[in-house]
Amino acid sequence: MIIDTIQVVTHLLPDLVQASDEGGLAWLLAAGPAGAAATYWGFYRYYRNTDKSHDFEHDTIIDAQPVQGGEEKVDHISRTRDSDIDGDNSGKYRQRVRRVS
Amino acid sequence: MTQPPAPEPVPDPVPPQQPTFDGPPMSLEEELAASRAEPEPKPSIETINESLKDGLNRCPKCGSTDVQLRGSTGMLVCLFCRNEWQEERVEEQFGLGEGIDELEGTVIATGAKDIAADAVDLLTFKCEACGAEVVVNTAHAMNARCHWCRHTLNVNQQIPNGAVPDAVLPFKLTKEEAVEKIRDFASKRRLFAHRRFKREFVPENVLGVYLPYLVIDARAESEYWGMGEEETRRWTETTGSGDNKRTVTYYAADVFQVRRQVSFTVDDLTVEGSSERSDFDGKSTNNIINTILPFDTKNAVQWNSSYLVGFNSEKRDLNVDQLTPVLENQLLSIGRAQVQPSLGKFDRGVRWEQERVDVGGSRWVSMYLPVWLYSYRQESNGILHYIAVNARTGETMGSIPVSQPKLILAAFTVGTFLEGIAGWFLVAAS
Repeated sequence: MIIDTIQVVTHLLPDLVQASDEGGLAWLLAAGPAGAAATYWGFYRYYRNTDKSHDFEHDTIIDAQPVQGGEEKVDHISRTRDSDIDGDNSGKYRQRVRRVS
Repeated sequence: MTQPPAPEPVPDPVPPQQPTFDGPPMSLEEELAASRAEPEPKPSIETINESLKDGLNRCPKCGSTDVQLRGSTGMLVCLFCRNEWQEERVEEQFGLGEGIDELEGTVIATGAKDIAADAVDLLTFKCEACGAEVVVNTAHAMNARCHWCRHTLNVNQQIPNGAVPDAVLPFKLTKEEAVEKIRDFASKRRLFAHRRFKREFVPENVLGVYLPYLVIDARAESEYWGMGEEETRRWTETTGSGDNKRTVTYYAADVFQVRRQVSFTVDDLTVEGSSERSDFDGKSTNNIINTILPFDTKNAVQWNSSYLVGFNSEKRDLNVDQLTPVLENQLLSIGRAQVQPSLGKFDRGVRWEQERVDVGGSRWVSMYLPVWLYSYRQESNGILHYIAVNARTGETMGSIPVSQPKLILAAFTVGTFLEGIAGWFLVAAS
């Protein structure tokens, strides 16, 4: 339960930081809870190593051919406050998406 | 004036399909026999060590059966005459490093064949030296001493219960070296460790275990489809004035439909062959044992149970069919990592939405890999914590039970301190 709480706090942190753009220095008040959550989570991971696993994507002998493919412009976003695409999973190699055959 | 309707187009006459002549028709009995016949066997690699048999395996020099692994050299040593020798490396003997880019279908070595449902773990040997009957429980050990004449009996034939793999990678790190690594690992994590764990920590209780793995070579092609965004403009807008002044950053971006495809081969991808060890549900710390991969599997040698004398072993209980989805998942992940460098243009990121993998060919070999394992069951929550040492590379990983009150107190202290600084800063700024 404690870990869930910390994850919620960590999740909310970017919103609080973003609020700083609009609300002066009020976001500094989040430093205490954020620091506490980071301390707990950092030590917990250092002791339990729950996030560790074999990095087979890089630690295996792989011989790959040149990457093929292409891209086609389909739309334009003229004004958004999001700094990145929704659901960016390009670095989450193990997150599975819909399989097609 | 109305024109007469155009005549319906007449389709070209299609010649009637002629049945292909494939020999004289079979009788009903022959048809039934053919339908009941076993499916075509899959291609396989014979890895049985013909020079060994079940029972007594003697030193080639003096004939003694007191044979075991000498960790410092990785060779078998006769405890009677000190003769040292080793089995051949399977990499060269069975050509496991070659032809990966030409693999077709699923090639399974004999030691990785399906486990027979009726296979028993208990084997009874008649000691060739004295005639006594000795029982070996192959679920945990592959050797036994005859209780009458003290000869060592070995299991070398590939019984279909998953206990005898194709190859074994001998222990290299000694127990003393493993104890030192475990002690180092734990001593760096003393401050917030559970008090009872610290009291009961005895690294000398570490066990040498051969764990079952399937080592896979594969040829695959993977393809991905998704959306990518490239930033075209970034600007800030300021509204209000004085205390109500606000600055907001806005972005403009082009949106692309992205496709990437890559063909690749993998050499010695290693997956757990034990269902208990491959369960990463969070209730156990199996991820710890997974983390100490990879092993130098190129140095694995042909099976000889003398390598297991003095060590525990855990038999394989997963078949190739059960592990095929795991292989496909890992190939998809590897493919994603391979295409990642080609996405640099999309500085706002890429969202993959669909993926496909086509495994052109795979080759499966079962191996016992050496691990020094220290385990500790935490009474309060039932979690089994491991500290594991890769007995080839020395890589060490572990899970140390934490003292929650201590950790919460530390987090609270840091939080209070930071909040104090923030409060002071706000007061000073106002």
